[in-house]
Amino acid sequence: MKLAAGRIKKPAYGAIILLWMIAPLFIGKYWTDVLNNVAIYALLGLSLNIILGYGGMFHMGHAAFYAVGAYTTAIINTAWGVPVLWLMPAAGLAAGLFALVVARPIIHLRGDYLLIVTIGMVEIVRIALINNVFGITGGANGIFGIDSPSVFGFQINGIVAPAHYFYLVTAFLAITIVLFYLLENSRFGRALKFLCSDEVAAEGSGINTAGYKLAAFVIGAVWAGMTGTLYASKMGFISPESFSFWESVVMFMIVILGGSGNIAGVLLGAALIIGLPEIFQGLQQYRLLIFGLALMIMMIFRPQGILPPKPRSYPIDKLEKNEVSL
Amino acid sequence: MKKLLFLLLAGIVAATATPALAQDTIKIGLMCPLTGSWAAEGKDMKQIVELLADQVNNQGGLLGKDVKVVIGDDGGDPRTAALAAQRMATRDVAAVVGTYGSSITEASQNIYASANIIQVANGSTAVRLTEKGLPYFFRTCPRDDEQGRVAVKTLLDSGYENIAILHDNTTYAKGLADEAKKLLDEKDVNIVFFDALTPGEQDYGTILSKMKTKDPDVVFFTGYYPEAGLMLRQKMEKGWDVPFIGGDATNNPDLVKIAGNKAAEGFRFLSPPVPGDLPTKEAREFMEAYAARYQSTPGSIWAVLAGDGFRVIVEAIKQTQSTDTQKMADYLHKEMQDFPGLTGDIAFNEKGDRIGDVYRVYRVDANGNFVLTE
Amino acid sequence: MEQFFTQLTNGLAVGGIYALIALGYTMVYGVLKLINFAHGDLFTIGAYLGLTLLTSLALTDHIGGLAGVLLLAVMAMGLVGIIGILLDRAAYKPLRTSPRLSAVVSALGASIVLSNTVMLVYGPSTRVYPQGLLPSQVFYIFGLPVPVMRFVILAASIVLMIGLYVFIQRTKIGTAIRAAAIDQDAARLMGINVDRVIMLVFFIGPALGGAAGVMVGLYYGQITFTMGWTYGLKAFTAAILGGIGNIPGAMVGGLLLGVIEALGATYISMAWKDAIAFFVLILILIVRPTGLLGERVAEKI
Repeated sequence: MKLAAGRIKKPAYGAIILLWMIAPLFIGKYWTDVLNNVAIYALLGLSLNIILGYGGMFHMGHAAFYAVGAYTTAIINTAWGVPVLWLMPAAGLAAGLFALVVARPIIHLRGDYLLIVTIGMVEIVRIALINNVFGITGGANGIFGIDSPSVFGFQINGIVAPAHYFYLVTAFLAITIVLFYLLENSRFGRALKFLCSDEVAAEGSGINTAGYKLAAFVIGAVWAGMTGTLYASKMGFISPESFSFWESVVMFMIVILGGSGNIAGVLLGAALIIGLPEIFQGLQQYRLLIFGLALMIMMIFRPQGILPPKPRSYPIDKLEKNEVSL
Repeated sequence: MKKLLFLLLAGIVAATATPALAQDTIKIGLMCPLTGSWAAEGKDMKQIVELLADQVNNQGGLLGKDVKVVIGDDGGDPRTAALAAQRMATRDVAAVVGTYGSSITEASQNIYASANIIQVANGSTAVRLTEKGLPYFFRTCPRDDEQGRVAVKTLLDSGYENIAILHDNTTYAKGLADEAKKLLDEKDVNIVFFDALTPGEQDYGTILSKMKTKDPDVVFFTGYYPEAGLMLRQKMEKGWDVPFIGGDATNNPDLVKIAGNKAAEGFRFLSPPVPGDLPTKEAREFMEAYAARYQSTPGSIWAVLAGDGFRVIVEAIKQTQSTDTQKMADYLHKEMQDFPGLTGDIAFNEKGDRIGDVYRVYRVDANGNFVLTE
Repeated sequence: MEQFFTQLTNGLAVGGIYALIALGYTMVYGVLKLINFAHGDLFTIGAYLGLTLLTSLALTDHIGGLAGVLLLAVMAMGLVGIIGILLDRAAYKPLRTSPRLSAVVSALGASIVLSNTVMLVYGPSTRVYPQGLLPSQVFYIFGLPVPVMRFVILAASIVLMIGLYVFIQRTKIGTAIRAAAIDQDAARLMGINVDRVIMLVFFIGPALGGAAGVMVGLYYGQITFTMGWTYGLKAFTAAILGGIGNIPGAMVGGLLLGVIEALGATYISMAWKDAIAFFVLILILIVRPTGLLGERVAEKI
């Protein structure tokens, strides 16, 4: 039974990827732009998944790293005209450094205490941005006039031509999925998951728990920062209200609803959390009410998330001969 | 039970996904915040524009067709607004009214510009919106620098020497506060206090106590009416009798309800005239129709300005006998003069800004009514 | 110095409200280890129901100001308590054995539903309580004017909190609640009806939130459908600050948070007020990782 399910999955994933790739040809600008939003939030969800899903750390302030990346991009681009895509590593680096500095003292906090501290972090970042910290964030107005990304001289304007932008963000999403898949199955990923399920046992097995947790935080932050570059260059302007606590909550819901610790689940979560309010647009003022209900119902039906990660399997036939005799 | 809920959800999705595809209508878009913190403004905007659209239809429609209002919820958030604008642009609207917040409007501007759709914003007062050279962007509200100028004039005419300026760190309030500060600094007026409160709270005792120690002659508050109302009330409670002057975001009858008549008396604010104060036929008829349909008066001036946005679009379509964007824009830029709006005469300059002295100074009387001074 | 005392009273008045809402967070957390993000919206509902009762029943006309207000508060508390029980049945009970964070997402969904329901029922604009129900005298303490209602609010919060504390510590039901908080299975073996205890907790917590809602409505006069989110976050911060799951902790955390905000706004910067409060919270948690009065609890994920 299990094997059969596994076999069906591969063609199904292939079909979804194919549909995703050709979708902009059929669905028009609006729905393409919805997909762009889904892709951006999928990236954010995947980056949060490393911290929350694999690492098991209750992190509800991911928008802070996203903001650091977006503002780094915006500030450098508008001041010196550096092309935005070149700024992606810089944005990632800035967010990673920021994570390193803030996460270090708080990494040992447990569960809900970490949750409120990360909420505090994202609020402090937002308030700092509004108050025009260091005189470079533009206060409540934000920063405007950010360039569109260009690839080999080809301008990709996310506002005017969502389909062009779609392939840019999809490319980055594809790279991310492959890298994160490798990460998930690497020594690092396994250690992180072990740590998540039993920290004491992990520590007893010689895993440097604090080091691994910090590394997870930094990797997640780097990716959120780079996604910030994509967002800033798509919108052309950024302002603090795009990086509120509620944005962090949205990312959090994407991971938990989709299936914490599973890449496919997080992707589905992003599609639901970002897509559903748009599907409900016709309901006007009732749309958030229905969205909230849908959220509760989906959670009650699938308490582990819609696509929870499968437990790691150790097939008998893959084992060494003498191990079987055990 | 579970199945039932699922069916319910599925039904809702299906019901909302069926678009109406009638071609014998002229569609005018309205982008407004129907959810989120600014939902009150959005609701008023929707009610006013729908009322005006029905009036147009009752009088035979436009170019022989019915007007249909297409509504998009911008959620008061830039990302949602960008999506709402993309959606609006695919729905074949002749022009769009809205929206409220400046950063929200900014997120939608380029989308409408690239889709060649006229946008008439109603509450977005940030100066830079019309400094980008967009050919199809207009606004019926005045700009922050205009209001700043009037505010400073009012403050100086009243003979105040030590002025406290308080904003709430929103784009709008900060912009107005900065404008006023710049002009006051040029005139060497003593600004004893310049800071921001956190909007959405209930207790401003801390801020009032802090301002009181600076002993200002007047407090110029550039934020919104809920905070203004609460501060007036809490200021009276503390027995502090400094006068308050507000920006146009305090123009809302709820201000008096929150503060109470006694605390609100003497409060002054700047605002474009409310329809009730205009002698024109249009304004009077609008007020009567609104009261008849919704049993209330329009909440804020911004929603009325959305009504004006709708009316100038209708006028442009009527006068040019077309829904061609370029023709309509040319008409609005060059030919429309002294169009009788719900908030006074309307004309636009080449940037799309509204021309003319729009601001009046209002005062709250002992019965809690807003009366024009001067 | 004068400034300091004035701001201290300002901070304590706000802190009393935070503390009252924080109690609901902390009680639910203590028994279920659940962060009830919808709790702030129950507070909002309390404020709105209070308004409806006040305007429709005209209680204060029939039985006089103070008695009317008290009866009104009790009625609003009861109704919000019932809504709390229903909320638990609908959103949390099916997730009792699920991963903790699933219940958190369900709570966020419930929060969206509740706040939007309030918006749709009462309209999105600010609603205003009738005025003149409360005494508006001003006390003078060492020559400083302090509105009498600030004391009343603080006193009412403290009375409710002490009442709750005595109830939890001294009564049989309170003992059952504490037992269920320590170990539900063991409590069940001792013959405690844990489901009943959870129901009770979901009555008392929201009821206290509802009381805070009515107090905010009566005193500040103005209520909006989004205020639950702001207050909820503040109260959650307060609960964590004092050590979540701990009732005296919620009181101390709430009052302390109010004072930190007031003094931070006065002496550092008003615009950075919330950032200062969070910064202090983070510092305190770095030094005391489970809050001021919290004891180390075993983590279950």
